[in-house]
Amino acid sequence: MKYRTLITIHYVTRTLLSALLLVITACLVSTQVSAQGAAEPVCITCHSTLPEKYSLPVTLWRTSIHAENGIFCSGCHGGDPQDAVNAMSPARGFLGAPKEPAIPAFCGRCHVGVLKDYLTSAHGRMLGKGGPTCVTCHGNHHIIKASLELINEKSCSRCHSFDRARTILASMQNTEAMIVALDMRLIAFKSIGTDTEKLEKELFTVRNHFHSLFHNVNVDLVTKESVVIQAELYKIRDALVQMDTTIWKRKMAGAGVVSLMLLIAAVLHIFKKNFKL
Amino acid sequence: MAVIKKVVDWIDVRIGIREVAEKELTEYILPRTINAWYSMGSVLLFAFVLQVVSGMLLLIYYVPDADKAFKSVTAIMNDVPYGWLIRMCHAVGSNMMVLALLLHMLSVLFMGSYKKPRELNWVTGFTLLALVQAISLTGYLLPWSQLSFWATTVATNSANAIPVVGPYLVEFLRGSKLVGPPTLGRFFALHVAFIPAVIGALIGAHLFFIKRTGISAPPFGQKDSSNHWQGDRYRHEEHPGGIPFFPNFVLDDLRSIAIYMACLMAVVFFDPYLFFPKDAFIPANPFVTPAHIKPEWYFLANYQTLKTFSNELIGLSLQGAAMTFLALLPFVDRGNERHPLKRPLFMVCSLGGLLLWIGFSIWGHLS
Amino acid sequence: MEKMNSRRTFLGVCLGSLGIIAAAMVSWPIFRYLAPRSNSGSAGKVVIPVTDIREGDARFIEYAGSAAVLVRKRGGDLVALSAVCTHLGCIVQWESDKQDFLCPCHGGHYSADGIVTAGPPPKPLDKLPFTVTGGNIIVG
Repeated sequence: MKYRTLITIHYVTRTLLSALLLVITACLVSTQVSAQGAAEPVCITCHSTLPEKYSLPVTLWRTSIHAENGIFCSGCHGGDPQDAVNAMSPARGFLGAPKEPAIPAFCGRCHVGVLKDYLTSAHGRMLGKGGPTCVTCHGNHHIIKASLELINEKSCSRCHSFDRARTILASMQNTEAMIVALDMRLIAFKSIGTDTEKLEKELFTVRNHFHSLFHNVNVDLVTKESVVIQAELYKIRDALVQMDTTIWKRKMAGAGVVSLMLLIAAVLHIFKKNFKL
Repeated sequence: MAVIKKVVDWIDVRIGIREVAEKELTEYILPRTINAWYSMGSVLLFAFVLQVVSGMLLLIYYVPDADKAFKSVTAIMNDVPYGWLIRMCHAVGSNMMVLALLLHMLSVLFMGSYKKPRELNWVTGFTLLALVQAISLTGYLLPWSQLSFWATTVATNSANAIPVVGPYLVEFLRGSKLVGPPTLGRFFALHVAFIPAVIGALIGAHLFFIKRTGISAPPFGQKDSSNHWQGDRYRHEEHPGGIPFFPNFVLDDLRSIAIYMACLMAVVFFDPYLFFPKDAFIPANPFVTPAHIKPEWYFLANYQTLKTFSNELIGLSLQGAAMTFLALLPFVDRGNERHPLKRPLFMVCSLGGLLLWIGFSIWGHLS
Repeated sequence: MEKMNSRRTFLGVCLGSLGIIAAAMVSWPIFRYLAPRSNSGSAGKVVIPVTDIREGDARFIEYAGSAAVLVRKRGGDLVALSAVCTHLGCIVQWESDKQDFLCPCHGGHYSADGIVTAGPPPKPLDKLPFTVTGGNIIVG
């Protein structure tokens, strides 16, 4: 198989396409083009070869959710990823690293909803007065898909006792487990050709609603909203139960059809015996 | 009953239908020793009709447009009542048809029925096998899933190994440099119009040849199992003292068809995903090659052959040589003996070939 | 012979009835497959009184199992759009002070007509068909 040629052609087209997209949109790469296929921005080419202090961000970024979704350095830090000489020129929109109080605004350029929730929360109100910013919990370059595991004793008790955090965690755990379980089931249904698009979208919306609660750090709100969210999740679960029933019904019908065919075969066989000359 | 008789009478006085029925059905005498393997042809005819009917039904909702094909298939599978059943019958049915075709071929092979004067039957049959593979391959692209897209990319790409014209041939097959909307257009036309028409015509020829030459008697249970055809002039092979096609063998045929249907329905209802990996349900994405793209099971041996030989031309030539040898088998193997146990060289070669094919298929599946 | 004949008749009747059952089992799915589907078309329309949306305001509704939004732009023009962000499928919010849509997930901005003005969305919000009759807005 000319796999290698194929992959080369494929790689070249992908590279060209990605380069085009990068030039046009400067910072945004279509989500369809996976990170490894896109042209490496000059930032990465250069920083990878520098001492650890400068190359570590690249190493950390490579396994992050940003890398997975094709969000490159310039997506956050600005600058020109196509031009090595002027890559870090403020004239090309280079922002550098934000000072601590500016971090939420820095991340919040994209994560708008989260920023709003954070700013009104107990965490956000302490911004610049020793309170935590985004990177306190999420880290900076190795940012992974957010999950409840971020709420843990070791992390929270750096600043305060774990008691309140534990209450919030406990009230969120059930819902999170439900979301994860439903997600797995949807993936399983999708892999056998079931049209799960609508349910996936519903779950996505519910999950977003749920995840916005993470940043409020408000026990009452979490408890109140969890009820609403769980009601939505039960709706999705019911739809899945309906699908299970359909599959079971089809199998029963199948048993009937196969038996009928075998019965016909048997009768035909006996019938034929009665024509032996 | 009387009404039916009247209608038949009305037709009979005009076109002599009863005479035709007698001649072709009740007075069509088959050898007494005929076995169940002889009904594989009827099973295949039925399977083909099933593909045509289910295919026509699918055409009602399928949209042959790269932007809409996947969505339309998803709608058939999820929204149209019983659409899943018809689609699964078509997709699983194609696999079962290839399986039945291989069994039909093996029975003809081991009973020595391909020998003279039935060379034309073998050649048309072998061409039908190739055409069924072609119609399966073209049909594979139509759902426009990741599986379709990349399996077609890999399959059409193998023509690259042909010297000089290879690259152009690949482009010609695809209708564009890479698999894309133009490929869907031509594969769709091939799948629903050209190939079925040719298959239909060849089935007609295949049946015509069998009727003219007469059916062969199985080589088993006879003292003398050698071929007595003289070849001096045309003679229809008669089987005096045999059984009539109708009703005796028709019942045999129908029984085999019922068993075939039971198998097909069992797969359709209980495990149709036997033939559907996960990638079959992800829309085609020309920018992302899935990790393990494998062709359908009956192409696995070809796939593995191409992979085994570092030089693709050798791999492709070997396949071409094997196919040509098999196509021209009755002209190569000219011996008179038909009983497999009295043909040691043939047995060794054919069993060896079969094991090699199975071995390469399993290897291809596991690699 | 007599016995064989009666057995043949009996088996023939059995076969005939099984054949009829099989034929019914084939015909029913095909009939259902071909039958026109009723609830695709007129169903799923959403009716809202015109007076419900003030100038410069937006109203979110559920339409065809998904979120939609009706906007009365400054100047009085009505627009009906899908409220699902084309980036990753979050639900957009209406910012009446800026007269635009904001997607809270990754900061996508759309104009009141659904045109992308900033951020990651790859294409505009889907436009939905609607008519205004007798003081009612009918979406769908």
